[in-house]
Formats: sequence, C-alpha cells, structure tokens
Amino acid sequence: MTADVFLFWFLALITVISGLAVVLMANPIYSALCLAMTMISVAAIFVTLQAYFLAGVQIIVYAGAVMVLFVMVLMLFDLKHELQAFTRGRATGALKIASVGILSGLIVGAVTIGLTIAGRSSDEVISAAAAGGVVDTTRGLSEALFLKNIFGFEALGVLLLVIAVGTVALSRSKGGTHARD
Amino acid sequence: MTSMGNTTFEIVINTIKLLAVFLLMVQAVPILVWLERRGSAFIQNRFGPNRVGPLGLVQLLADAVKFLTKEDFAPEKGNRIMFYMAPVFALIPAAVAYAAIPMSVPLKVGDYTFLIQGYEINVGIVFILGISSLAAYTILMAGWGSGSKFSLMGALRASAQIISYELALGLSIVGIILLYGTFNLTEMIHAQQGIYHFSAFGYTVAASWLPNWGIFYQPLGMILFFSATFAESNRLPFDLAEGEAELVAGFHTEYGGFKMLMFFIGEYGHMMIASGLMATFFFGGYSIWNFTPQEVYNWCYGLVGSEQIANVMNVVLHFLSYNIKFAIFLWIFIHVRWTLPRFRYDQLMDLGWKTMLPWALGNTIVTAIVIFVTSYFVIS
Repeated sequence: MTADVFLFWFLALITVISGLAVVLMANPIYSALCLAMTMISVAAIFVTLQAYFLAGVQIIVYAGAVMVLFVMVLMLFDLKHELQAFTRGRATGALKIASVGILSGLIVGAVTIGLTIAGRSSDEVISAAAAGGVVDTTRGLSEALFLKNIFGFEALGVLLLVIAVGTVALSRSKGGTHARD
Repeated sequence: MTSMGNTTFEIVINTIKLLAVFLLMVQAVPILVWLERRGSAFIQNRFGPNRVGPLGLVQLLADAVKFLTKEDFAPEKGNRIMFYMAPVFALIPAAVAYAAIPMSVPLKVGDYTFLIQGYEINVGIVFILGISSLAAYTILMAGWGSGSKFSLMGALRASAQIISYELALGLSIVGIILLYGTFNLTEMIHAQQGIYHFSAFGYTVAASWLPNWGIFYQPLGMILFFSATFAESNRLPFDLAEGEAELVAGFHTEYGGFKMLMFFIGEYGHMMIASGLMATFFFGGYSIWNFTPQEVYNWCYGLVGSEQIANVMNVVLHFLSYNIKFAIFLWIFIHVRWTLPRFRYDQLMDLGWKTMLPWALGNTIVTAIVIFVTSYFVIS
C-alpha cells in the first residue's frame, strides 16, 4: 500500500464518517461541526489531487467563514424546542422519505462513476485531466473566471447582492429585531 | 503526491519536521510568557517575576508544575466532550499553519534538498489563512461547551471579531500577491532578495542602500495586515473576547490548569504565525539585509574554504536572520498589548468594516493599476 493509496482511503473514511454524522447526529451543533469536518477533509482530498487553490478556498470560504456563522447562529437558539419541531409531523416524514430516495440515488451514482476511475492512482488522474485541457493552476482558474466566463461571473455576483438585499429587506419587513408582538 | 513525499525516507523526514516545528512552537511559549510578564513589568515600572532562578526564568517551570497539578475541573452543566475537545483543537490550526512558513534557505545534503520548513505548499498564503481561520471553531466550542452565559458571549464576540477582520486581513495582502505574482511563500522571499530594484516604463530603478523588501512597495498593506493580525489573535487593543470587566475572562472563563494553558499556547501560536508572515511578506523572510543567499554563501565559502561547511553556515545565518525579525515582531505584539487601551465594541466593528476594509480595497485597486500601467507602457 503506497502513501498515496493510504492517504486516499484515510481521507475518504473521514469524509464519509463525518458526512454520515451530519445526518445522524441529533444535536444540530454536532451536525454543523461535523459538516465543517467534512469540508476540511474534502479540501484535503483536493490537495492530494494537486488542486491547491481550490483546497485553500474551500477551507477559507466554507469551513472558515460560512460554517462558523452557522455554528454561531445555532448556539444562540433554544435547541430543545427546535429538536422537537423537526422530528415530529407528517411533512417531516415525507421529507425524510424523499431524502432517503435522493441519498440512495446519490450512492448509486457515486458507485457508477467511481467504477470508471477505479484502480487509477491520483497521479494518473491528474495527468489525464491535464491532457484533456483541464488546468487547475490558479492562473488557469482565474483565466476561466475572469476572461472566458466574465459575464456569467458578474451575473452571479449581482445575484448574490440581490440575495443579500432581499434578506435584509425581509428581516426588516415586520419591524425586524424591534418587532412587538 | 509530492507534498508529503513519495518514499518512506521522505515521509519519515517530513513527519519529524512537523513534530519539530510543533515542539519549537510549544517550547517558545513559556519564554514568550516570561518575556510578556517581565516586559509588562518593565513598561509599568515594577519588577515582575524575578524570584525563582536567574532573572525569574525558572518561574516558567514552577508555573508548568502548578498547571499540571491543578484539579481537573469541568462545569456540571456544560458539554463535557466539547469542553475537553476545545483546548486540544486550539493547538492544531496554529501548529499546522506555522509549519508552512519557510525559515531558512534549503540545506543540500548530497542530492537531497532539505527544506527548513515543515512542508512546502504551492499556495502558501491561502493555506495559512484558511487553516488559521479554523481557530474560530475552537473558541465557539469552548464557549458553548462551558455551559455558561459569560463564556458563550465571550466566544460569540471573539469569533465575530475573527470573521470580520479576516476580510481585511485577506484583502490587505492582495497587493503583495499582485506584486510578486505568486502565492508561494518561498518564491515571495526570492522576489525580495538583494538590493532595492524594480522596472517601470521600461527603465530599471535600483538603490544599493535599501533592501528589496515588500514594505517599501506596500507600506499601507503592511499597516493593515499587522493591525488585522492583532485582531485575529485576540490581543489588545482588540481583546474584546476577554473584556474582564464585562465578561470575566471570555470564552475560557471556566477553564483552569493545563486546559487554560493550551488556549494560551494557541493564542501565542497565532502571534507567531502573524510575526512569521509579517517577516515573510514585508521584510524579506529569511533573507539578509541587501544580500542574496548566493552572496552570503560565497562569503562563507571564502571564510572557511569548504563547500559543506559553507552550506551549513549559510543555512544557519539565514535561520538567525529570520528569527531576529520574528523576535522583533513578537516584541512589538507584547509592547502594544501593554501600551494601548482596549477598543469599545462598536469602535472595533467600525474599524474593521468601515475603515480597514475600504483602505485595503483601495490599496488593491491602486496596486493593480500601477502594476498594469508601469509594465504595459514602455517609454523607449
């Protein structure tokens, strides 16, 4: 077993376990922390595929900023109340069944795709990707973002701005934090 | 896989190096604590710990024994798993991130190049910023796991502060990244070696009395970066997390003994990362004032006349050079802590979002325009 293979299985195991823990944990704070763990281990898998910039951005943006905000908000909630509201009821039951369906579909898809690249080392995968014109250097990424797809990228930025403005507008609509009810 | 090594030999070497960097960091903390206590005493015109051993240096050992023998206490209403996990996790981001900073020129032994850094990673800056941003989790875990309002409020304050200043921190070094055209810390240091020189409009400007350091290109970036790192490591004047008057001691109110010490080590670790990055980005990293490593090597070779010894000497000289810069920044951290008063919370947020962020953005835009104009228009 080479270092490459060991590293892959190790990281894959951590990713899958922490991913499962996100769904199976009853306490939402544990779930959120496990989700952060999943993101970090996915970033580590990116590093083994030599996609360094993507790994760094994954950690900074998702694990370092977005999930921290999630955890912060969760810690301010009254968790016991939330727990009961989400584990009872017919609508939640339907949601659970639907998500089981989606999950099994994802597993089947992952196995099918995984079989086509099984048995190849990460170096082979990287060189195959490089031969196919995929460049994951930071320069290649920025050229794709800022030269080829600049309008799509800007449109996404505007969309995010719309979302931010919409959130503020919604939260202020009924008096916001100063609401008297 | 190239970053961790292909052969067993390389993997073993890298593991040992990681351990060595971690131990280096942990060992530096008692000395820093001593320096901080003696330094604060010096600033406030008192003596500080001077009874145990020469200059009070053995005080650290006494403290360590005290910390180890204290009662292992956990609050009853807290979450025990989180409570015990948080201090352990506090050490990880600091140690992992510090290992990525290059500390000297590579040592060549036979045909193997031994890097004087934990590991070389292609996108050094992005990696270090990412890893050190994970410190917010340990604070939140500690605050929530303690099961106390004061701890939770302290944790929320501290992590809100870390997230807000991360933006200014990230943007303040974009100018430096544009200037050197790389994310790699070693390449950045290479770009800062030798005398001050740059080319603009097709001309080359050089000044033999100045080193080619980042601070002479990006002074504003340096100020913003250094201030943001103060906020990131939760130290005065940004130690809102520990506002003793309002929050007892912030997120580590409930911690005592060695667990408390581990948070301390984490905090000092962040100081060390900040100092190392300051040296690397703006003060030439391990490079020596005005000299390239090749010139230093030639000087050593002329002195001893043996290639092997000259090589080792070169490495040692650069290592010393790095550590001198490193120590100066650590001292500035300590000095500022005992000089400036604390900000109010709204002042802190104003400074982060309304002052530092726009200035950092402006710095980025101006740098980009200047780099474009000076390299695009050639006057011949």
